[in-house]
Amino acid sequence: MANPIQAFTSVQQLAQPTSGVSTGDFLQTLDGMLNQVGDMHTEAQQQVTDLLEGKGQDVHSAMIAVEKADLSFQLMMQVRNKIIQAYQTVSQIPF
Amino acid sequence: MNLFDVMTISGTALLAERERAEVTASNLANAETTRTPEGGPYRRQNVMFAAHRPFGMPFGQQLATMVDFSARGVQVTGVIPDSAPPVRRFEPGHPDADAAGYVYAPAINPIEEQVNLMGAARAYQANVSAVVATRNMISSALEILA
Repeated sequence: MANPIQAFTSVQQLAQPTSGVSTGDFLQTLDGMLNQVGDMHTEAQQQVTDLLEGKGQDVHSAMIAVEKADLSFQLMMQVRNKIIQAYQTVSQIPF
Repeated sequence: MNLFDVMTISGTALLAERERAEVTASNLANAETTRTPEGGPYRRQNVMFAAHRPFGMPFGQQLATMVDFSARGVQVTGVIPDSAPPVRRFEPGHPDADAAGYVYAPAINPIEEQVNLMGAARAYQANVSAVVATRNMISSALEILA
């Protein structure tokens, strides 16, 4: 079975070496969101593994867990795209 | 309540319908069973459904759900034997026949059980459709940001 996406590196760790600014509420929110998405993927992974190993797991609960993980990942990607878009817009302001 | 909880509710229904299908299949399989570990012929089993608060919710949300009687999941609270008495058949050669030559067979109508099984399968499909509809709703909501 393919390796799952590992737990995400904390946004704060990503942000701090480059910016060095103190972490705000928004970054914490984003970090929490990333962790939740990571948890959902771990949960989906666990349920699918249980299903494939025949541990009496229900097919539908595994499917629902996968759907939830997929949707939360999509939501995270949309937020990420929006943030990058905003950053690019700001960075294009001429000095 | 967010849309993910709607999926959880549909999930409880899928579980309940699966259990109903299991019990119905058991009834169908044992329609002619004259011997059980607890003695006597097999008794037809019924599942009992009860509305249940959706699990996996924080306490505050659970309390709100219980207070305002909003969306709830379903739960199989028990499998109870049918009260119908066993059918008495005259079969003197049967190993389970009593002294008078009568055999007690379960009061199960296979046709009725097949209809129940179809009902469970259709209800399962309906709940899968509900999950898919919810998924599409969440996907549509994500398009707002795109």
